[in-house]
Amino acid sequence: MTATRTEPARRADDRIAEARSRDEPGASELSTPLDLLLSEAGRGPLRRFLPGMSGVRLAAGLARRPGAVAGRAAGLAAELARVQVGRSEVGPHPKDRRFADEAWAKNPFLKRTLQSYLATGQALRGLVADANLGYGDSQRMGFIVDNVVEALSPTNSPALNPKVLKRTIDTGGGNLLAGGRRFVKDFATSPRVPSMVEPDAFSVGEDVAVTPGDVVLRTDVFELIQYTPQTTKVRSVPLLIVPPTINKYYVIDLAEQRSLVEHLVQAGQQVYCISWRNPDARHADWGLDTYGQSILEAMTAAQDISRQEQVALLGICSGGMIASMVMAHLAATGDLGRVAAFSLAVTVLDQHQAGLPSALLSHKGAAASTRASREKGYLDGRALAEIFAWLRPNDLIWNYWVNNYLMGHAPKAFDILYWNADPVRMTAAMHRDFMDLAVRNALVEPDAATMLGSPVDLGKVDVDSYVVAGIADHLCQWESCYRTTQLLGGDSRFVLSTSGHIAAMVNPPSNEKASFQTRDTNPPGAAEWLAGATKVRGSWWSDYVDWLAERSGPERNRPRRTGSAAYEPVCAAPGTYVHDR
Amino acid sequence: MGTPASSDAAPDRVRSVSVRGITARISVREGVGPFVNEPPLLLCNGIGVSFEVLQPLVDALDPRRGVVRFDVPGVGGSALPPTPYPIAALASWVTRLMAGLGHQRFDVLGLSWGGGLAQQLAVQHRRRVRRVVLVATGTGALMVPAHPSVLLKMSTPRRHRDPEYAARIAGDIYGGTMRTDPAKGARLLHSVTRSGPRRGYYYQLGAMAGWTSLPFLRLLRQPTLVMGGTDDPIIPVANPRLQARLIPHARLHLYEGGHLDIVTEAERLVPVVEQFLLGLRPYIEPDGKAPA
Repeated sequence: MTATRTEPARRADDRIAEARSRDEPGASELSTPLDLLLSEAGRGPLRRFLPGMSGVRLAAGLARRPGAVAGRAAGLAAELARVQVGRSEVGPHPKDRRFADEAWAKNPFLKRTLQSYLATGQALRGLVADANLGYGDSQRMGFIVDNVVEALSPTNSPALNPKVLKRTIDTGGGNLLAGGRRFVKDFATSPRVPSMVEPDAFSVGEDVAVTPGDVVLRTDVFELIQYTPQTTKVRSVPLLIVPPTINKYYVIDLAEQRSLVEHLVQAGQQVYCISWRNPDARHADWGLDTYGQSILEAMTAAQDISRQEQVALLGICSGGMIASMVMAHLAATGDLGRVAAFSLAVTVLDQHQAGLPSALLSHKGAAASTRASREKGYLDGRALAEIFAWLRPNDLIWNYWVNNYLMGHAPKAFDILYWNADPVRMTAAMHRDFMDLAVRNALVEPDAATMLGSPVDLGKVDVDSYVVAGIADHLCQWESCYRTTQLLGGDSRFVLSTSGHIAAMVNPPSNEKASFQTRDTNPPGAAEWLAGATKVRGSWWSDYVDWLAERSGPERNRPRRTGSAAYEPVCAAPGTYVHDR
Repeated sequence: MGTPASSDAAPDRVRSVSVRGITARISVREGVGPFVNEPPLLLCNGIGVSFEVLQPLVDALDPRRGVVRFDVPGVGGSALPPTPYPIAALASWVTRLMAGLGHQRFDVLGLSWGGGLAQQLAVQHRRRVRRVVLVATGTGALMVPAHPSVLLKMSTPRRHRDPEYAARIAGDIYGGTMRTDPAKGARLLHSVTRSGPRRGYYYQLGAMAGWTSLPFLRLLRQPTLVMGGTDDPIIPVANPRLQARLIPHARLHLYEGGHLDIVTEAERLVPVVEQFLLGLRPYIEPDGKAPA
């Protein structure tokens, strides 16, 4: 692998190494959550719990303020004393499902346990606030303290959780036996986190990824699915979807009625979707250019099959990053006329201060991580899954710890979690390229990055764009997604959906609670934008369909078959690559 | 891959199924016409490669015949099992997989490592397995061994991961057509196959460690076709001869060629399999000559 590294690859390595030498406090904010995940996953899960220099600075910060520390200690002691005599007012957040059982309020022993736990946790979190750390350090220490506090919750202990105690009596200990078996099975292979869904809960192609279509092109890197039209008339310009490269594409084609693809097909769009191959060590050299080239190949195929001069592009998460760079490449080569409309979903292009995870990334970490993946040839998606789970331990670890191991229940069948447990590897070259972009925040600065030999200047991309983000997205903060509207050269419509990273994507109109915010102008700041935005009931899917319809040409009769003489269908959707574990 | 089979064949459907908590990638081609109610042919692959490698073999079979292929757990697109497994557990798992697909009875063809699995299936699930085809395979730990240098090359999955290495050694370990065209071997192992975690390969090696079919071959009741190449460095020709002698209802077919010729020379060799599966009397060449 090393022998075949190209010149740009070597330059990227050099840049990362150079950035590492400039690593200093404050510089760590230059990264995206995604990149943190990529960085951490290359190095193993324990690393992120080591406070490192942030811990030293925390200690130093506290040492400078002995009064505050003493105050915290005294306050905690007084609170614990009140707990002992039963006069404490401390209680869990009413929405905290962990303590929903009434035994926590009624049983005096459990009530005191709970209150002591809450008071101690508060004091610990307060200490981090007292230390007056910088942005990066306070995020990092807050993360570690939160993790420790959440791990110590009495609900996680079989001897203290009343729900578990009751079940142990009911089943004569059978729950702990079954839970032990689950524990051994989960922790024998990575990802070493509680499984959130049974491996046979769903079956790809049977009850998820079921929208009918055909694979019309298969290359080493991807399969191109053409979905079968379900309306008599279709829009003439086809839509090509570029899914993320770190998970399977079927997040946009989950069960029926929950599938964005199905929604678009039924709205009269001709939909094409890329299904990336799950690469392994042999494909270590596939970098950003390989994937960018693949998008161009898919565009050409969609154009040829539908006999159109144009396509509409929709990029999602990391797929959106690559698609944006391809757009810049097209602009640089005078080919931007090929794209009728450009859309980005939950994609971060500007990576400045992109939230908690970004604060945890250091240049040193980036360098170590790319080195690790280069030795292996790829970055394992399962390692990413571990990192992601530990970013939200209450929801993704301890919840299942109690359900799977203490209660002995099988996790519930939920299609999104099944998808989440089906990750894709990332090639070493791609990993390096992404880290390189992140460390330099290179997409913001014109001509700082290249795609297929062209300098990337997003300002020259003057196609109309549709940018959607989720308000509770932990991975790609919506404020960061919003900055895309300031980077692209054309008219942007920014839409802020409810929910987080995935649920914002999977937001069918059947969801009664669905709503989104939007506004006609895009002021420079995200907060300013939000202040003037109006709330619309319903899913952004419908809004998107309307926006797309205006830009995807006149209606015509639907094609009689999928593919063409030059692109004979290879096999039925969802194809073969989606099944590679 | 990719070339549509003749029009009267059902399409190959690739999908993932979960059997006993392990997700496996499988490819199923339903039988059509006269084969609708016939037991399908289960193909058991060689070590460390995914089922795409068998495509030329499948293409050479009767297009109407039902065929089931799968990636062994830990290889190709199938999930890695949590612990190493013995071959008997895998045989039981495979039977469960077939039952889940609605096939209580099936024929089995085992190539190389898969031949060990096929022998185990035949003895362990006697009522499920109708006919057995063993291609370029031996009797496990107790067999006439290959040259040590061949065994050394077989002990790691490197040839599946490094195309240059594969091209260099293909002739030495696979013999036959690989000697004249080693790049063909490299292509075969590199371009179409999906590679799983390295641990999956070692689990596969481990499953066969200490296993031998020698004591139970006399117990096989199924009609069995034993095929072997006369230029196969991995499986010296004495092995298929021995198997054919021990298995009561066995027919022996020796051919001039190497370890993977059933795949690389499928048009020539698969008709022998096809005739055997149809219950026709195959031509037996005790001298090892291929049929004219």
